[in-house]
Amino acid sequence: MRKKKGFAITMVVLLLMVAALAGCGGGSSSSDGTKELTFMFRGGTDEQKAYKEVIKKFEEEHPGVKVKMVVTAADQYATKLRAAITGNNLPDIFYFAPGDLKAYVNSGVLKDLTPYIEKSKDINLDNIWKYGVDLYRYDGKMAGQGNIYGMPKDVGPFALGYNKTMFEKAGIPVPDKDKPYTWDEFIKVSQELTKDTNGDGKPDQYGTGFNVQWALQAFVWSNGADWLDASKTKVAIDDPKFAEALQFFADMQNKYKITPGIEQSQTLDTYQRWMKGEMAFFPVGPWDMSTFEKLPFEYDLMPYPVGSTGKPATWIGSLGIGVSSKTKYPDEAVELVNYLTTSKEGMKQLVDAKVQIPNLLDMADEWVKDTKTKPSNKQEFIDIVNDYGRALPGNYTYNAEWYDIFFTDIQPVLDGKVTAADYVKQEQPKMQKLLDKAVEQEKKSQK
Amino acid sequence: MITKSNLYRKEKIYGYLFILPPILGLLIFTLFPFVYSLYGSFTDWDGLGQMNFIGFDNFRDLFTDELFYKSMYNTLFLMLGIPIGLVLALLLALGLNRKIPGTTTFRVIYYIPVISSLAAVSIMWNWAYNGDYGLVNQFLELFGIKGPNWLMDKDTVKPALILMTVWKGLGYTMLLYLAALQSVSRSYYEAAELDGASGFQMFRNITWPMVKPVTFFLVVTNIIGGSQIFTEMNIMTPTGGPEYSSASIVFYIWDKAFKNLQMGYASAMAMILGIFIFIVTLIQFKMNEKSSFDGD
Repeated sequence: MRKKKGFAITMVVLLLMVAALAGCGGGSSSSDGTKELTFMFRGGTDEQKAYKEVIKKFEEEHPGVKVKMVVTAADQYATKLRAAITGNNLPDIFYFAPGDLKAYVNSGVLKDLTPYIEKSKDINLDNIWKYGVDLYRYDGKMAGQGNIYGMPKDVGPFALGYNKTMFEKAGIPVPDKDKPYTWDEFIKVSQELTKDTNGDGKPDQYGTGFNVQWALQAFVWSNGADWLDASKTKVAIDDPKFAEALQFFADMQNKYKITPGIEQSQTLDTYQRWMKGEMAFFPVGPWDMSTFEKLPFEYDLMPYPVGSTGKPATWIGSLGIGVSSKTKYPDEAVELVNYLTTSKEGMKQLVDAKVQIPNLLDMADEWVKDTKTKPSNKQEFIDIVNDYGRALPGNYTYNAEWYDIFFTDIQPVLDGKVTAADYVKQEQPKMQKLLDKAVEQEKKSQK
Repeated sequence: MITKSNLYRKEKIYGYLFILPPILGLLIFTLFPFVYSLYGSFTDWDGLGQMNFIGFDNFRDLFTDELFYKSMYNTLFLMLGIPIGLVLALLLALGLNRKIPGTTTFRVIYYIPVISSLAAVSIMWNWAYNGDYGLVNQFLELFGIKGPNWLMDKDTVKPALILMTVWKGLGYTMLLYLAALQSVSRSYYEAAELDGASGFQMFRNITWPMVKPVTFFLVVTNIIGGSQIFTEMNIMTPTGGPEYSSASIVFYIWDKAFKNLQMGYASAMAMILGIFIFIVTLIQFKMNEKSSFDGD
């Protein structure tokens, strides 16, 4: 009997400790009445610096509120956030990817911000990118409509940049910002700019060097194809238009030789080659503006080359800032979210730091007019948001496993060992199986 | 009599109090997560919301999961580094066990990778393996060989990882062998020498049996560690390598659990991995039991 009692006591102690551990996290309040909020985010060094400044200003304007910042490297962020959710240790305010919206709402992680936003006099939703806000709306069935569970930190149009100095040196007219290249024209110009400049028999200057995971979309979409059909439940890559775009992408390296070869094609390389001025075309995101400010050459933005639709395409990234449903200080937390996403003061600091485009429409209008700072064609960013940008396919589904595997398996196509037509045929059923699983998971999480 | 038993009881309480912290630690950080994960493996838990019991569905799905087999195969393939590492380390230890000048310096050199952080080492090798400007290919170029882009090619990514893990573990293995070698009494060798034994005979009949416990220890710990390899590929091939050819089983578990909201499924895999490690270790202990000390 005694032994059993001892065991029971041990178990009680254990449970209490587990309960105590589970209870930590979220906002805490110190004895002097200061309200402490935890803000978890990610970003490059310039972004971190900018956000720290903005938070400092927020604290000055809101005495009695202290913000504790937790920042991680970009590639570790998602894991850390999931671990915090699983461990019941969520920060009050945090970034989240739009693709995770449904899962987080269904499981009660995110607070519904709608009542706070409607109540607030400072927020005018008509003055923020509709695309951005809609990314964080969810009515329990469909994303894109219903209540708001997060505010867009920004919208990130992934534009195409070109090295203006290189064009001028080669005596080639710079790309027209209103009339995109066709694929053929793009190849022709790129071939002219792929050169051996030091005479060692190997090219040291290339037309371009795209990372397949982030640039293939532009070619596929512009050719009238997509990863998913309209219902978002069927993988649609087994479409000749899709294969054509993928083949073109692979041919840039294997057939037209306008990119570094297989053995040189790591992402890091192409990014650095662009920075060193050895590449004519390279994608530019708004988050790169502060880094590209210091480039040793002039660069500007242009539309992506167009496929059979005749219309350029690319994606717009975004990160939402959400509030934990368990926060102790919802009012202050929402206040901070608004400060970071919709307030004039906060937004101005972030835009001046060149880490993003303005969230506010009237501010964006002003910003575009400034053609003196790099890149001068800022209108391209705005055009992408207003006109030809889209969300990444993985955003529409409960998880992006089916989409990720497309890129995991793609190397043989890029190396020219497998044709795009064969690849899409072989890959479609594999991806469909994973997508079916994600759809099923989503249904389960809704009840 | 009563007082004595009271005293005894008090001592007993103190005794329990003293062992309480490690036991609580074991319960909270090992047993509790284990039981939780065991339960999780029978549910469709996504890591966020409710856990619904679904019986053996996860395990059934596992047997038809191509990537599960692939990552299992990759993990086993990477273990080829274990025998290579053991042989190299033993040879090194034999060399450094001699009384020649400079051995201390070499011991330190071989031990440096062991104390370096695995993440830093992975990043360093990541650069070394770069197809364009990497050290490895620049070295090969000296001999006129054009090296591949090691981590981007599914045929070379696993050998590349093996090379790195062997390099990283060499110092530790060598140190243990060195300690074992130094504890072998000189008198055995002297006796063998008198009997006219050759160097190889001495190694086979004296050195090898004498370091056997160390070999056994290393094989067991290396296989357990090798089954759980993760950091290297997470840093060097963050998407699992070309066609998932460098993803280990732990990498796949992590991918499912934290990237794709399938904590239950990942738990099922973790259970299989745990059972696998348990069985392999059991076999090794059985084999060791049979063969050890048969020379005595």
